[in-house]
Amino acid sequence: MVLDVKSLVDAEAGLISRRIFIEEEIYQEELERIFARCWLFLCHESQIPQPGDFITTYMGEDSVLVMRDTAGKIGAFLNVCPHRGNRLCRADNGNASAFICAYHGWAFGNNGDLQAVPNLQDAYYDDLDQSKWGLVQVAQLDTYKGLVFATFDKDAPSLTDYLGEMAWYLDSFFDRREGGVEVVGGVHRWIIPCNWKLPAENFGGDAYHVAWNHLSALTSGFTRAPAARQTPGGGTISPGNGHCILAVGAEDYSAAPVEIIQEYEESIRAETLDRLGPRLEKMTPNVGTVFPHLSFLRGSSRSFRVWHPKGPDKIEVISCQFVDKAAPPEVKEALRITGLRAFGPSGALEQDDMDNWEECTRTNRGAVTRRYALNYQMGLGHDRFDEELGAWSSDFRISDSNPRYFYQQWARLMLADTWAQVSAG
Amino acid sequence: MKDETLREVEQFLYREARLLDNRNFSQWLELFSDDLRYWMPTRSNRYPVSSKAISILDASRYEEEEISGEDELAFMEETKQTLEMRVARLDTGMAWAEDPPSRTRHIITNIEVELADSSDQLRVYSNFVMYRNRGERDEDFYVGSREDVLRREAGHLRISYRKIVLDQNVLLAKNVSNFF
Repeated sequence: MVLDVKSLVDAEAGLISRRIFIEEEIYQEELERIFARCWLFLCHESQIPQPGDFITTYMGEDSVLVMRDTAGKIGAFLNVCPHRGNRLCRADNGNASAFICAYHGWAFGNNGDLQAVPNLQDAYYDDLDQSKWGLVQVAQLDTYKGLVFATFDKDAPSLTDYLGEMAWYLDSFFDRREGGVEVVGGVHRWIIPCNWKLPAENFGGDAYHVAWNHLSALTSGFTRAPAARQTPGGGTISPGNGHCILAVGAEDYSAAPVEIIQEYEESIRAETLDRLGPRLEKMTPNVGTVFPHLSFLRGSSRSFRVWHPKGPDKIEVISCQFVDKAAPPEVKEALRITGLRAFGPSGALEQDDMDNWEECTRTNRGAVTRRYALNYQMGLGHDRFDEELGAWSSDFRISDSNPRYFYQQWARLMLADTWAQVSAG
Repeated sequence: MKDETLREVEQFLYREARLLDNRNFSQWLELFSDDLRYWMPTRSNRYPVSSKAISILDASRYEEEEISGEDELAFMEETKQTLEMRVARLDTGMAWAEDPPSRTRHIITNIEVELADSSDQLRVYSNFVMYRNRGERDEDFYVGSREDVLRREAGHLRISYRKIVLDQNVLLAKNVSNFF
C-alpha cells in the first residue's frame, strides 16, 4: 500500500488527519515502518539485575523476551519458538537458565541458543543445524542510564544518535543523583481502547489538558498546581527525532503535594543542579515521550510507561515507578504511595485521561467525522530553536508545537524507506 | 462463631454493597474505621518452582508469589482520608471517568467469618462479582476476593482493613474508578 502520508500530516498548517488514529491499513504500516525500525524501550536494568533474570514485554505487537544470560549480558529475542511459532515464555518475569517450549519441548538457553530438541536422533536423523534455530534476536540493543532499548532494524542509527539531545532530558528524570534510579517492584498493566499515539502525544505535548481534564484531582488534593507566578515559565520542548518534553518553571521542581517529598527535593537541589548543569535553571522537565511510545513523568507520580499498540484502537499499558536509588527509604515509600494514587488505572489523575482517549479514538469510526482534520494549530509560529535548551521551544508554556514535531517525525518514518531519508526529512 | 454474628456480618456487607451501587458514598465511608488500610494488589504471571517450562538458574532468588507485595505497586492503596479525597473528587462535577456515572452491581458471596488475632476483631472473607456498565456499552466484570478485618466501634461494625484480590493479570478494564 502506498499511503499519501502528506495528506495525513500537515505539521506546517497544524492539521492532522483522524484516519491515522483508526484505520487498520495505516496501523499495519506503523507496525512495519515505526515499530519494526525505531529504538523501543524494553525495561530498566534494575528489573533484571542478576544472571538469569528475565522479563517479557512487546516491541510493537511482537512478544519479546528480555533476559540477562548466565554471563550477565542482556539480550532481547522474539518470545516465539522458531519451530511452530508457539509463544515460548508465558511468565511476566522470573529467573531461568533455560526455557522449554510447552508444545514440543524445544529448549533454549538464556542467551537464545537452541539447546535441546526432543527426538533429535531418531526423528530428525541428527540432521538439524541447531545453530540456525535459536530465538530470533533483536538487531541492536543498547542501554542509556539504565534504560534498555532495542531495535529490529540493523540499519537504525545508534541509540546515542537516535536519542540525540533528548539524552540530557532523560538524565533530568533518570540520572539526577549518583546511581541513577531503581524501579519499584510490581507493575501496572491495563488495556485502554484508544490509539497509541493519543497517550504518547498527551505525555509529550499536552500541557493544555492539565488545568481542565485534571482539575478535579487538583481541587481534591491529589496533585498541586505550580505556584502562581507572574512568569510561571516552562514550555514545550522538542529536542529532535520526534522526542518531546513538557517543562514547568525552574522553581517548580517538586510537584508532589507531600511534605517529605518536597523536603527531599529541596535537600538534593544543589546536587542535581551541579550534576545536570545550568540548563536546569531555565526550566524543570516534568513529562515526556521518547518517540514513539515511551512516556515518563515526575510530578505527582514518578512513572515510566510504554503504550504497547494492540490494533489501531487498543493499547496495553505497561507502567512502572522509579525512584532515585540514593533516596532514603521513607522518601521512596512516600513516592510509591503518592504515585500510585495519582497515576495508574485507579489514579485520581490518570483515570480521567483513559476515558477521553477512548472517545477521541472511537469517534473516528465515523466516515464523515474522519473527513475533518484535527486542530493542532495552537501556538503555530510561536516557537523557536533555543540554543541553551538544544531544542525547539514554544514561547508560551502551553502549545501544540511538540505534537507537530511528533507527527512530523511520524510522517517522515511512514514515508522514508531508509534512515538516511528519515534524517534528510 | 455465633449464628447471629454471621447474620450481622452478612447484612453489613450486603448493606455496604447497596450503598456503593446507589452511589451513596458518604454513608459508605462511615463504614470504615479511621485507621483503615484499603489495599488492592496486582497479580503477576509467574511459573511455580515446580514448572518444567523453565530451568531456574538462581533458586535462592526465585520469586513464586504472584500477588504484589506491600512495598510494591498496587491498583489501590488507600487510607480513610484518601478514600474521602476520592469521594470528594467524584463530587467536583469534573471526574470525567465517572461523569456520567457508572452503573455498578456488587454481588457479594462466600462469606466466612472467623475471630481475628484479637478477640474483639473479626476476619471476614468474601468473594465478589462487580458488574460495571457505563455510557452506551462499556462493560467490565471485576471478579475477586476480599479479606476484611471488622471491629465494633460504639456498637457499630467498622472495617479497619480490606484486601481486594482481583482475578486478573493485565487489568482488562480501562480504569478503576469504582470501589470494591
